Amino acid sequence: MGHISLNKVRKAFGDVEVIPPLDLQINDGEFVVFVGPSGCGKSTLLRLIAGLEDVSSGEIEIDGRPSAELPPAKRGLAMVFQSYALYPHMSVRKNIAFPMKMAGVSAEEQERRIAAAASALNLTDYLDRKPGQLSGGQRQRVAIGRAIVREPAAFLFDEPLSNLDAALRVGMRLEISELHKRLATTMIYVTHDQVEAMTMADKIVVLRAGRIEQVGAPLELYENPRNLFVAGFIGSPRMNFIEGPEAAHHNAHTMGIRPEHIDVSATQGQWQGRIGVAEHLGSDTYFHVHDTGLAETITVRASGEVALRHGDTVFLTPQADKIHRFNNEGLKQ
Amino acid sequence: MATTHARAAARLMISPSVILLLGWMLIPLCMTLYFSVLRYNLLMPGDTPFAGIENYQYFLTDPAFTTALINTLVLVVGVLVVTIVGGTLLALLLDQPMWASGIWRILVIAPFFVMPTVSALVWKNMFMNPVNGLFAHLFKALGLAPFDFLAQAPLLSIIGIVSWQWLPFATLILLTAMQSLDSEQIEAAEMDGAGALSRFRYITIPHLGRAATVVILIETIFLLSVFAEILVTTNGGPGNASTNLTYLIYAESLLRFDVGVGSAGGVVAIILANIVAIFLMRAIGKNLDA
Repeated sequence: MGHISLNKVRKAFGDVEVIPPLDLQINDGEFVVFVGPSGCGKSTLLRLIAGLEDVSSGEIEIDGRPSAELPPAKRGLAMVFQSYALYPHMSVRKNIAFPMKMAGVSAEEQERRIAAAASALNLTDYLDRKPGQLSGGQRQRVAIGRAIVREPAAFLFDEPLSNLDAALRVGMRLEISELHKRLATTMIYVTHDQVEAMTMADKIVVLRAGRIEQVGAPLELYENPRNLFVAGFIGSPRMNFIEGPEAAHHNAHTMGIRPEHIDVSATQGQWQGRIGVAEHLGSDTYFHVHDTGLAETITVRASGEVALRHGDTVFLTPQADKIHRFNNEGLKQ
Repeated sequence: MATTHARAAARLMISPSVILLLGWMLIPLCMTLYFSVLRYNLLMPGDTPFAGIENYQYFLTDPAFTTALINTLVLVVGVLVVTIVGGTLLALLLDQPMWASGIWRILVIAPFFVMPTVSALVWKNMFMNPVNGLFAHLFKALGLAPFDFLAQAPLLSIIGIVSWQWLPFATLILLTAMQSLDSEQIEAAEMDGAGALSRFRYITIPHLGRAATVVILIETIFLLSVFAEILVTTNGGPGNASTNLTYLIYAESLLRFDVGVGSAGGVVAIILANIVAIFLMRAIGKNLDA
């Protein structure tokens, strides 16, 4: 249970239309990630689904039930906030129990669900602490625990990892993915980090200015971006775009080639350039190549260590079958 | 940098202020203690013999003392209840988005800037006067006999006046506390199925705990020594129905000219105030820990 469908959902704050009419289907058990640059309306869209904002027009169906007019609590969804939004004066146990207390769940059942959630999230030793005594990752887990015990139709995550440091973020990313595999509940996850989107999602929804640019599985978006925006947003480092005669030579207004799809050679190749910054990571080497006459910088990713340095002349060859061609409206040809 | 030399210099530099402050505090305290053990009545000038604990005995066994003690506590607790409850409700109201909220806020804060003597006079003559007061007119308009507030319910009237003065302070502190509540917490509670009342009870009120503690502690300090309002309105009467400890000490030393008993009363008041302070810190001081 957890099928959500948005039908012509529109949101305007006064005269400003934040989300133009938008349709979206989210299937039961799917892990859907809303991704886009900041201010693209992804959080607003999540809050519309949660019921924390009212839709200006359109319908939201949750499990076939029209829900656009329902208050948040009646929609059967649970949300994990960016700031965790734990209740600071309550112990971890009481925080987790709060939604059940509000729903009038019996004391034994509360105790059972708290114990289950605590053991699933490694919180058993911390149940009697206050949120202020926990680390960022632990607070995050309490917030998830508070969501789990409600046994919701779907979980909503609003940039839950953005307050954590990089190492913890990778760990929590795995934990949330594992949680999804175990619970098999629908999850909607908002992030501006395309790495989180690529690694966690079953389905990515790329948003720009409230509009859905493309919906699809992560690799589908990577291999077959529908337009320049998606092509530039998905993938790290971002795709190189080349216009002008070289693009025309490939029968396109703009040609796109990902850094990992360019072969590097010190002796021969199609394009010649000079290396600006070279980033040697050991596993990979990134070159920012200038003076190619194609674009200001061409980013290249070579596997392993390549012994080329700043200032060296380098030859680049795009892999012909990996070239993306876009027309003058920025759409994929 | 903190060499012995520098520290010595620093001590030398701050010593004038410290000595001045200590003197300012200690000399009156010591003189009060000294006067409290003398038979020192201004109606009998000249001789001030040592009297031991006689003044204390007289003050503590005075039937007016018990009444004043009870009145003091009733006044403090009464005003605290009114200002905390009223302040919370007003803060809740002022926190709502509304037209010209800045003006409303200034209006609500205004009573705090009216000095006690003036506000007590205004209340006594404009509102509570049984002949000309607005309340008397209101009662007459409703066909009721005017109620003489200051004669019939003197202590309650004073609680009303003092509450009116302190309500803005409580409102202001509680309003800022309310505005510092994280909106995501309220939204989380909303998602968790808490209605407006539950959200207020389980999220807002606990959040206000610390601010309320500050209000209670600060108000208690000032409310233990309410004086001008009583002097201006009831003069502690009728009888000693509205006499509090401060007013009793005033009456002993400046109406009966008995400096010795007045000083003894002052010492008793200091001890009682400290007992109240210890009790308060025990009861609610833990709210101040982060």
